Amino acid sequence: MRRTARLSAGAVTGAALTAAALSGLAAPAYGAEGALAAARPSASATGTLEVYPSSVVPGGQVSVNTKACGQKASAAGDASAVGAGAFPLSPSTHEGDAIGQFRVPEGAQPGTYEIVADCAEGGRRVKGDLIVALTSAQGQLQPRGSVKTGVGGALGTDPVKTAAGVAALAVAAAGGTWLLHRRARGDGI
Amino acid sequence: MRRIGNSAIATVTVVAFCSGAWLLYSADASHAPPQPAAVEGRPDPGEERLMAPALPPSPPTRIRIPSIRVNAPLIGLGLTSSGSLDVPPAQDKNLAGWYESGTTPGERGTAIVAGHVDNMQGPAVFYDLGALKKGATIDVDRRDGGVAVFTVDAIEVYEAKDFPDAKVYGAAPRPELRVITCGGGYSRSTGYQGNVVVFAHLTGNH
Repeated sequence: MRRTARLSAGAVTGAALTAAALSGLAAPAYGAEGALAAARPSASATGTLEVYPSSVVPGGQVSVNTKACGQKASAAGDASAVGAGAFPLSPSTHEGDAIGQFRVPEGAQPGTYEIVADCAEGGRRVKGDLIVALTSAQGQLQPRGSVKTGVGGALGTDPVKTAAGVAALAVAAAGGTWLLHRRARGDGI
Repeated sequence: MRRIGNSAIATVTVVAFCSGAWLLYSADASHAPPQPAAVEGRPDPGEERLMAPALPPSPPTRIRIPSIRVNAPLIGLGLTSSGSLDVPPAQDKNLAGWYESGTTPGERGTAIVAGHVDNMQGPAVFYDLGALKKGATIDVDRRDGGVAVFTVDAIEVYEAKDFPDAKVYGAAPRPELRVITCGGGYSRSTGYQGNVVVFAHLTGNH
């Protein structure tokens, strides 16, 4: 299944670029849903190129980001392996990530393609894998059933109310004691 | 003079006793999370038609729901061995998660966010989710620096034993968001009986 980027790149690029040009900026087909559901983001370790979604159908849009280029650094992305050509990665507001986006051509063949980015400073190169699938296992990776998001901890006794209640009862006890004390002294109840 | 003093003390005593008893009684179970009214389950057709074009995929970093004062970071979530959506660590009460093998919020499809209604210490990030109203705004900050703006279509409560997987998790032809927390009835032996699920769709971005 795994096909190297170099093998497919040359064979696919020409047709893919034509198809991409024809398809213009049209939104990806609804069929992309399944692939997105099947996407598995790659590990987010520093020094790699993260690819979202890591599995996409032809025509789908892909977002890549990396922390490897340092704070406020841009990079030059290369997705020509999958026929999408060069694209820029710009610094983002998020934690020093450089971010870029490209669209997989409609004519891209299924396979695994290597996406590369060269940092603008330092000459560092980072890589990430993009899987192109024609169809996808629809719904297979959807969650099932309910979610365990509570233990009832909010339902226990409220410490503030409990303390206030105890304090109020203490006041009542003191008042009652005082009244009884006065009556015992014959102070006129 | 003495009589007035006595009746004042007697009044204070009675009031203190009654309020003390009431406070102690209501301190128990006074904190059940709010649950949505039935009317919140029916989308308004007008609201439904407003929608924004899908955004490119970009992982979310933070969810903000101003009307219920939610502002929490998002972590990636996977699935448990039984296939249900995993949950964020319960210790951190201001933390939510998103299903990172699925759709990113703003992208075409169904993005899923989940968070705790409470933990052992008390209310947590989505405690007030059941009090959300149709038409409310949910902002999701994304790693590309943009903000996906969603509008709430409906808030539902589903029993765990009859959970509508397709409706909650199923693919959508437009950018949609689900926000999930625990809800429904609560019993000490089995915990919460189900989930509060918020249905929203993309109506803007900035």
